[in-house]
Amino acid sequence: MKASVRLLLAASVGAGLAAPAMAADPIKIGVIAEASSISGAAIPNAAKLAADEINAAGGVNGRMIEIVEYDDHNSAADAVRAFQRASSQDHVSAVIASYVSEVVLALEPWSGRLKLPMVTPGAASDVISHRIHDDYAANKYTFHGYMASTFLSDSVCDGMKAIAPNLGWKKAVVVSEDAAWTIPLDEEYLKCLPKIGIDVIDHIRMSPDTTDFTPIFNKIEGEKPDVMVTGISHIGVQPTVQWHDQQVPIPMIGISSQATSSTFYKDTNGAAEGVIYQTISAPDVGVTPKTLPFVKAYEKRFNITPAYCGYTTYDEVYYIADAIKRAGSTDPDKMVDALEKTSFVGTIGKVEFYGKDSQFTHAIKVSPEYIGGMLVQWQGGKQVTIWPNDIANAKIKFPAFVKTGGN
Amino acid sequence: MLKSKTFPSLVGILLLLALLPFGVSGYILGLLTLGYYTAVFAMSWDLLFGFAGEVNFGPSFLIGVGAYTAGLLNHYYTWPIWACVISGGAMSIIAGLLLAVPALRLKGPYFGLVTLVAVLMLQNFIVLFAGITGGEIGLDLPDVLAVDDGSNYWIALAFMGVSGLILFGLSRSAVGLILQASGQDAVQAGALGFNVTKHKLAAFCISALFSGLSGAMLIFYEGTVSVGTVVDIAVGVQVIIAAVLGGRRTILGAALGAVFLIGMGEMLRPLGEASTFVVSAIALVTIMFVPGGFLGALLHGEKR
Amino acid sequence: MKFLQILVDGFAISSLYGVGAIGFTLIFGVSGVLNLSHGSIMVAAAIGAWAMAGDLGFGAVGGAAGGVAVGVALALITYTLVVRPIQTSSRIAREEKEIFVLTGTLLWGIMVQEALAYLFTSNPKTVRPLIAGVVDIFGVRTPTQEILTALISWAAIGLLWLLVNRTKAGKVLLAASINPRGLTLLGFELPTIYFWVWALYGLLAGVAGVLLGSFLGVSSDNVGQLTASAFSIVVLGGLGSVTGSLIGAYVVGYLETITAYSGAPSIRTVPVLLLLVLVVYIRPQGLMGRR
Repeated sequence: MKASVRLLLAASVGAGLAAPAMAADPIKIGVIAEASSISGAAIPNAAKLAADEINAAGGVNGRMIEIVEYDDHNSAADAVRAFQRASSQDHVSAVIASYVSEVVLALEPWSGRLKLPMVTPGAASDVISHRIHDDYAANKYTFHGYMASTFLSDSVCDGMKAIAPNLGWKKAVVVSEDAAWTIPLDEEYLKCLPKIGIDVIDHIRMSPDTTDFTPIFNKIEGEKPDVMVTGISHIGVQPTVQWHDQQVPIPMIGISSQATSSTFYKDTNGAAEGVIYQTISAPDVGVTPKTLPFVKAYEKRFNITPAYCGYTTYDEVYYIADAIKRAGSTDPDKMVDALEKTSFVGTIGKVEFYGKDSQFTHAIKVSPEYIGGMLVQWQGGKQVTIWPNDIANAKIKFPAFVKTGGN
Repeated sequence: MLKSKTFPSLVGILLLLALLPFGVSGYILGLLTLGYYTAVFAMSWDLLFGFAGEVNFGPSFLIGVGAYTAGLLNHYYTWPIWACVISGGAMSIIAGLLLAVPALRLKGPYFGLVTLVAVLMLQNFIVLFAGITGGEIGLDLPDVLAVDDGSNYWIALAFMGVSGLILFGLSRSAVGLILQASGQDAVQAGALGFNVTKHKLAAFCISALFSGLSGAMLIFYEGTVSVGTVVDIAVGVQVIIAAVLGGRRTILGAALGAVFLIGMGEMLRPLGEASTFVVSAIALVTIMFVPGGFLGALLHGEKR
Repeated sequence: MKFLQILVDGFAISSLYGVGAIGFTLIFGVSGVLNLSHGSIMVAAAIGAWAMAGDLGFGAVGGAAGGVAVGVALALITYTLVVRPIQTSSRIAREEKEIFVLTGTLLWGIMVQEALAYLFTSNPKTVRPLIAGVVDIFGVRTPTQEILTALISWAAIGLLWLLVNRTKAGKVLLAASINPRGLTLLGFELPTIYFWVWALYGLLAGVAGVLLGSFLGVSSDNVGQLTASAFSIVVLGGLGSVTGSLIGAYVVGYLETITAYSGAPSIRTVPVLLLLVLVVYIRPQGLMGRR
């Protein structure tokens, strides 16, 4: 009680003195994410890092950026509540929301109803941008700041096309968790893998509640594929550990969101060794000149490397600030216009959004020229890049129990 | 408490609450809106437990059936909201009857387990048919009750007011007394010539109806239906805690407990992840030291 | 081949379920308490072992021991801080003690779960295995850890059996579950007995938690699921019956494994739930229940 009174006094005194000097109110950006998960925690962390940097450099037209955090406990309802609060109580100008597609899909209509621009740093479902394409007027306030699922699959396929011949991969089983984001992901896997000469001999979807993966691995092993192509995000530690402990001789490659954070190695007791995952930025690769300084600053402040959505969030705070600067106001419609014209080189590459004509309206453009994927492998406790060749800094190496045809 | 005095004062309180949108921020209204729907959940649970004596660990089974019925009808067939809500309530009654069958046979922890299993089955079912139900995290709805906070608040308040008055009235009526008697000692109540089975069935149907209606209303407030909001065991736990915290056998206490829980959870939001911990700790201390709950303590002092 | 696989994998998981459930049933048998914070105690033990083996540098064995100690400590705290005060409270009517103990332990379990998520994040953790590697059993490649899980589980069960049937303390325990009032007439203090039962329970839950953590890995999100599964096993076997709980554990473990292997891993728990409803309808006292 006492402390809050003192705080109140200090605030009013402070405000009284500083008021003439302050140029304007801060620009508030809401951040909605699940704070207790690896991927979720990276979102507010990276946002604060970016905001502090922008503020240290003088803010946006003299206005400071203020990050307002909300924990959604990975629940769509909590997220909707947080979004409503962000709009009506905290008067934020934009929201950066979640890495979970279901949460973002629940927020998307609210972004339109409350006319509050929202960018997602980590959700992947294609439906997010398809909805904007189908009903632009209602959904134009949403931006998809991460690769759509289809692009993720394509990126994995591109990488596999380069590495599969040396490893003798010809037959694959697609294994993914049952969630909104993996529906388009799997669809595209089933299309793009055959195109690069890899037969998909089975397709398994696992409940995100699964804790014992033994039967699944056994079934897969019985089918004798050369490789497992994954699509996992909510799960990660347990299948990886069981894969390692049971010495399942089949390599894993694909999307494995939790593996993108440096704590993954510790959480799995090193079972991550040999896991290959697709990402858009790795801690050891300067995708752009901004990547490595960001990783360094992030590690210094939070003692871990950023999960994949840390990179995107960091960039998003910058390009939202940039859009507000160009729009000259925080009017939502002007901000949307400005965001659509974004052309920003961040830590993940050059960010631009697809326009109204594309099926992927407001999704970030994916191509080597803008944002391209890469394959990273856990080796000796470190995340090393193995593809594309021009930025690769290590050769593929599997633990002894994994059998590959090539080497 | 005299009936003649209680009802007018309740109506008075409701009218006062109806004035809130003229003085309070949208954010607080949003919280109360959620609190009011949760209040109906808790009051329905109290009717079943406090009066009929049935330890229902799975209030979210009844809530979830109503909510998902309404949600699916709206998402796939774009039925108008009122039709979805009524259908949701009707489906919940069927769910309530489904629960009542074992309740009439089983006692204590066994019935409790069946209700728990019912929730788990519903959850499994929803996740299993993820293609239709949206799975683990949910389905978004094309329609919402209202966009602005004030209207949403009034709708929720009116809904809670009507539901609360009906449930409270029932609990104070002859039916409530018979229920209480059969809840405490079914054999004796039967010996006195009351049809215990019939009354318990009625309690299940009424509890289910209001749980289902409220579940359906809630999802049209949030614009999304998901396991986490209306089915998960945690939802049921919150309802039970609210009712016990507010005071069992009071109906109104349940409403009080629900609003308190929701409000507390949000007030402690600055604590971040630790907020649930603190809310649970407060609830634990309350039930250990003030077992009669808020209303119990208020009405009876400390005596028991 | 598949049959052998089911046999081997089902055995380990069933043994693990068994250890977790007999502690749960023991407490109910002796003091009539259904401890809904069960899952959180198991998870706390596992995460304790993980933290001690990893960050604190106690090594795999030290970590495992430390994890079990966490289980015992937490069980005793649960008893002294939550269960005991409710049982002795004069403010709570006798017929309402049950619902209060249920609500109380439930809330306590949530508090432990949230504390774990806050301190260690909700990300799953795996306890460092005591012995890494795999062994070939009739052509089934089995992780050594899985064999160890089954062995330790059965060692714990065996020790419990010896304790109950061959020692004086065990006989007192048995007597307490049959006729607590008679025991007080013989000069035994019920609170003291309860205290030791809870310590024993903590030991079992701790062992089960650490084993689960090293076999499959645990997260604070698993708390509810673990409590529910122990509850189901115990009701299936008959509340209060240790033998029944063991049989229940094997029925559940194998039923789940068979379901998972017959190509439907996502409905793993559904047949168990159906069986449970069926048993509760036909024979509410469970397979081996005595009341």
